[in-house]
This record gives sequence, C-alpha cells and structure tokens, in this order.
Amino acid sequence: MIRAFFLAFLALVIAAGGASAQRSGYGKPERRDPIFLRFPEMAQRYWGNTASHRVVAIPLPRQCSFVYADSYTHGQMSETELQDVAVSACNRKLAELGSLGENYTVGCRCQVVITDDTYVVPRDAMPDQAYGPASIFYRDNQGKIARLNGLARYGALIGHDRSVTFIVDNVNGQPGCEGTFTNESVGAGRFSLSCFNGKFGGRGNFDSRVGAPNDHIVARGQTANGQPIVMVIGLPAQLAARMYGGI
Amino acid sequence: MRLALGTLLLLWAAPMAFAQSAGEVERCFQNPANCPSGAPAPAPAPTATAPAPPRPAASPDYTSVLKSSEAERRKLQESLHTLDKYNGPIDGNLQSEASEKAIADWQRGHGLAAVGKLTPTEAVTLNNEAARAPIKRINPTAATNPPPPVAAPSNAEALKALQARLAERRRAAEPKAQAAVQALVRDLTAYMAAGGKGIAGEQFAGFAKWYADTKAAGRGFGDIKPTVEDYGDAKSGEAVTAEVSLQSLQGDTASSQCMMFAWVEGSPRKGTQTFSCDDIAGIEKWKTEQSLKSAWR
Repeated sequence: MIRAFFLAFLALVIAAGGASAQRSGYGKPERRDPIFLRFPEMAQRYWGNTASHRVVAIPLPRQCSFVYADSYTHGQMSETELQDVAVSACNRKLAELGSLGENYTVGCRCQVVITDDTYVVPRDAMPDQAYGPASIFYRDNQGKIARLNGLARYGALIGHDRSVTFIVDNVNGQPGCEGTFTNESVGAGRFSLSCFNGKFGGRGNFDSRVGAPNDHIVARGQTANGQPIVMVIGLPAQLAARMYGGI
Repeated sequence: MRLALGTLLLLWAAPMAFAQSAGEVERCFQNPANCPSGAPAPAPAPTATAPAPPRPAASPDYTSVLKSSEAERRKLQESLHTLDKYNGPIDGNLQSEASEKAIADWQRGHGLAAVGKLTPTEAVTLNNEAARAPIKRINPTAATNPPPPVAAPSNAEALKALQARLAERRRAAEPKAQAAVQALVRDLTAYMAAGGKGIAGEQFAGFAKWYADTKAAGRGFGDIKPTVEDYGDAKSGEAVTAEVSLQSLQGDTASSQCMMFAWVEGSPRKGTQTFSCDDIAGIEKWKTEQSLKSAWR
C-alpha cells in the first residue's frame, strides 16, 4: 500500500516537473521588444486582440528573420495546433519567396519564438537588429547589368528613425558595403552606399514597400560613374532580380 | 625623374579608381579584405608596375570618416555619447582630444586598434550599436557643460544610491501622474458618452478620429485601460505620456487599439498629441521638444 502510494507520489512529482519544464521560457514579451519594433503590423495584431492563445514564428538564425507568421485563436485551437499553424505559415512564406542560397550560407528554419505569452527561444538568439536578404543591381562602365547578393543588417527601424545606417555582408558574412538611409517622409527618403572604402557606391532615393510578396525596401540611384543602381532589401536574390533586376 | 614618373602614375591611377569593371566589384565584394582602398584621391600607386619600394599592406581608411559631412560626424559623437564614452560638445570635431579619447576607448572595448580614429566600417558599427542602446534624452546643459567629477565612494554604492533616489522620485511623482491619467480617462469616457462631443476630442485629434471610425464601423465601445508611460517636469509644466488601450466591440468580439496620449498638465491641457504606440521616435521627439525631465524612469 505504502509502496503504491510512494510510486503514485513519484509519478506526480515527475509529471509536475515535466509540465514546469515545458512551460519554462525566456521571459514575457514586451511591446517594445525588437521583434515587435521590426514588424509593427504584427505588433498591432499581437497586442491589439484578446485571443486566448497567441503564437509568433520566425525563421532562425537571426539573419533569416525577415519574414514572420503570427497566429491567434479564441479557444478553438490548442496551443500546439496554433504553433503548427504559425510554423507552417512561416515556412510557406519562405518557400513562396524562393531560395535564399544566393544571399546566405546559413540554413533558415522557421520556429516558434513566442507562445503562451512567453519567449521559448533564448533572448540572445532573437534578432536584435533588422535583417534582410539584399541584392544590388547596377550597370558597369560597359553598360552591362551586374549584381551583388548578400545580407543587409541595420540597427534601427527604417521609417522610425531619421537616419539609419546599414551594412551589406557578402554571402560568407563578410561586410562589403555600408550606407545610410535618411528618412524624408514615412518609409521614404534618400540613401547612400559605399563599398570597399569608397571604391564602389551610389546614392539616390529609397522607399519601403509593404505587402506581397514581402515587405521590402527599394533604393534607386546612380553609381559614382552616373550609371543606374538599384538595391533591394527584403527579397531573396532571384525574386529581387525578377522584380527589379532589369534596371 | 622619379617625380615625373610619380605624376604619370598618379594621372593613370586616378581614373582607374572609377573605372572598375563588374568583375572587379564582384571580386572586391566577395573578398573585401583583399580589395585595396579605392578612394578617388589620393590615388594608390599600382603595385605591379611601380618601381617604387614595395608598399606595406593597405592601411585602414581613417580619412573618409574625418571628411564625412558635419551631420555624420555629429551623429558619431552622439553615438559615443549614447554609449557613455563621450561627454564633450556635439560639434562634429572628431579630432578633438575628447573625441579621439572616446573613440579609442570604444575601439579598445571592441578589441580594435585604439587609434582614436574610425574607419567607415567602425563608424557604421558604432552608430548601429548606439541605435540599439536604450533611448536616452540629452540634457542640453549637461551636454555642453559636463558636471565636475565627484569622488564617488564605489560603483555599487553609487548605483544603490541612484536607484534609491530614482525610486523615491517616482514614488513622489506617482500620485500626480495617476491623477493626471485618470482625469484623461474621465474626459475620454465623457466624450464617448456624449456621442463624440467634449474636450477630449478637441485636444486629441487622433482619439477623435478613432472614435469616429469605430462608430462609423458600427462597433461598440469597451474598456479604456491606461498606463503611465512617462511623467516629469517639462518647460511649460508637468508633462505626461500615457499608453491607453481603447477597446471596441463587435458582437462578442473585442479588439483593442493602443494609443499614446501626450500632454502638459494645465486647464486646458497643453501640447496635446496622440501617437501610435509603435511610434517611439515620435513620442521621444515630443518629449525632447517639451524638455521633459523624467521622474518616472
């Protein structure tokens, strides 16, 4: 009798421990966390509803975090079902945008980052800057179209801050170009780009485009030689080439 | 003879700096470390044909940042200030003793050569790092006249004392801040109860628009939940910013909108403005314009 009671008690302790471990996370999300500042439309939805369950999924590692998926339920779905919905929506978006191979050497994988109002990945794994695949199209001195593909990262929020500096890394993650976006109106303004200590660059205007196929930034201008240059941030190289590569 | 040859080489090299081919740009992009500096002037001597003694490896480019616009140089000083490395004037002079010391200090902290001058890449990194730092308003008088150093007992004690002072300041401010926010909620409620009439709509156009849109959409109105976001003395009185969750109802479904209300206490309120809660830059700009000295943070 005592033995049975002891075993039952032990099972209870183990189950409680397991439940506690499952629920343990990396703190509660705050409205001004980088992920919400990066994706204001998602922030509006996340903080502006009374859903019983809320889940956010993004691709990781952090340099992949240029898309997201958020899902909500008012009790119709379980937390686990909702997580599946968010991850699958995130994967679908990534697949629709196409391969990132020309931009990154890292593998991007969607995963749940916020669920049950708790971070479920370590804070230091979350994006602390804005990231996006970048493509630069330009005409060289012979008038031929050339392009550079990589990853753009910027430490502030284009559209909020007056001036935002950015870096474009090559496919191996080495910084090749840097520049500045200067806002003149909401989500639009001027840009300058300088690569390899000024050996190559350009300047002109940019604007942020929201919606399908994905939120992105298009900057158009001229190189130092007066040739056209277009920089696209937020679309994989192939899609960017199809949409903007014909400068 | 050597001078003439040097001049010839210079004339040849200057246009070359601009005449990069796509292949050359691609090569530099894929291997930036091996790409020589291409600043148009002074032009680098070509390595293959120059009879001059072998050149050392390409030295870091410290001149681009020094020659950048005054606005960019000021921004770098502001970034150093944000990171608590610099407390001198924001005048764009990166070659002042204080600026160079601050830059060297920052470089040292990042394992870089502490030369006191920045390469373009370092400048971008510095600005990005500062952009990630929590927003901090600059007290104009403190920026130009740094306070004399005070012999602090120890960091831990100073921090403890500071935390106690801040907590005490917030405790003292709390009743006034809460009263101001409750008064706002009363005005917002009265405006909605009066079918869109009242002082709240006149003072906060963003709120009046939200009310009109919600009403036009045939939705009902639910709870108003305020939170004090900031409070303190400003140039024309006590300034308050409050994050307010405004609920609207459609049948059983409720949805909320987060709106930030900002004003300076008075009768009527002054400097009134509404922001989206995401518009952090706008809110912080308003606080700076009001010279708000926070008693809340």
